[in-house]
Amino acid sequence: MTRRKFVRKLIGAGSMIVAGASLFAKKASPRKFVRAIRFKGYPGPVKPMENILKQGKWSG
Amino acid sequence: MKVQCELCPKLCLIEPGQSGECRVRINIDGVLRTVVYGYPCSIHIDPIEKKPLFHFLPGSSILSVATVGCNLHCKNCQNWEISQANPEDGNIPAYNCPPERLVTETNKYQCPSIAYTYTDPIVYYEYTYDSAKLAHEAGIRNVLVTAGYINEEPWKKLLQHVDAANIDLKAITEEFYRDVCSATLKPVQNALILAKASEILLEVTNLVIPTLNDEPGQLRELARWIKMNLGADTPLHFSGFYPRYQMRNLPATSLRTLEKARKIAMGEGLNYVYIGNVASKEGQNTYCPGCKGLLIERSGYTILRNRLRFGRCPDCNKEIYGVWR
Repeated sequence: MTRRKFVRKLIGAGSMIVAGASLFAKKASPRKFVRAIRFKGYPGPVKPMENILKQGKWSG
Repeated sequence: MKVQCELCPKLCLIEPGQSGECRVRINIDGVLRTVVYGYPCSIHIDPIEKKPLFHFLPGSSILSVATVGCNLHCKNCQNWEISQANPEDGNIPAYNCPPERLVTETNKYQCPSIAYTYTDPIVYYEYTYDSAKLAHEAGIRNVLVTAGYINEEPWKKLLQHVDAANIDLKAITEEFYRDVCSATLKPVQNALILAKASEILLEVTNLVIPTLNDEPGQLRELARWIKMNLGADTPLHFSGFYPRYQMRNLPATSLRTLEKARKIAMGEGLNYVYIGNVASKEGQNTYCPGCKGLLIERSGYTILRNRLRFGRCPDCNKEIYGVWR
């Protein structure tokens, strides 16, 4: 193989890599939001329902 | 294996066994799990004016719910005992109240709406979403009280089941969001614009903190931004700060400062500007932007007089922004 042929092949291969990468970049869509899955139970203490008629002490 | 939570702009990359910044979204065996789903730490029936919402079903009661956790860490947080709590610490017990029960309780107490509030409904997103969807099916309306720090895709999905929101615009500078809240401004502005575009009833709250965001130029810029991006009819609540949590070194906001803020915002063309957390006669009432007549007179969370007729001013017949029935 002559040096000229080798350089041509190298440029060709490089071009294909760049073209492939740009094609992939175009097709890659932003990642979809995935819901978190409900954990079974609660890691802290659980209390029985209280009187909810009382106005909340928290702001908001 | 690490998992990435894509709910909010923090995009936490979570190690196995660890939680995101919100403390309630955890990587368990490579799966992102929400540990507060169906486990609110607080359920109360509040007047809707407490949210605050002044243009949505005035005088009604609203079932208000929150779990622990928050994706922001505001140094001035008024509810830090629950917002900055870790469910595993065991300091804050929770109720077992899945969405079905939440809707049943709302019906039992004949509340026309549910507020996802106190901490931030963004971090208990899945519980909020499922409850709101179920509530809509039962004819109950949904209200969010939030800092609006959420990514676009989950926000748009949630807004489909929301009727009204009060969203904090804590300041109009990136510096404030970075230094005080460990967050950023742009995503909040985006969430506000998307909420307005979704045609829900939108009100905005700005907590005025002495020396940090009470400079007249900043308040003017904030009011201008609201008018330009959300419209002159968007109600704005200037709320008074009280020294709390990690910000006990600053004084409470004076009524004078809040009145000045209100004057600036009204001068910029906002039609409904209110004062909260501090007793103020004029700053609690709704006035007609047309004829300036008194429409709704309030004292604290109580409606003393509501002169609206089918959502219009009884004197000049101007339509008033809101959901009135």
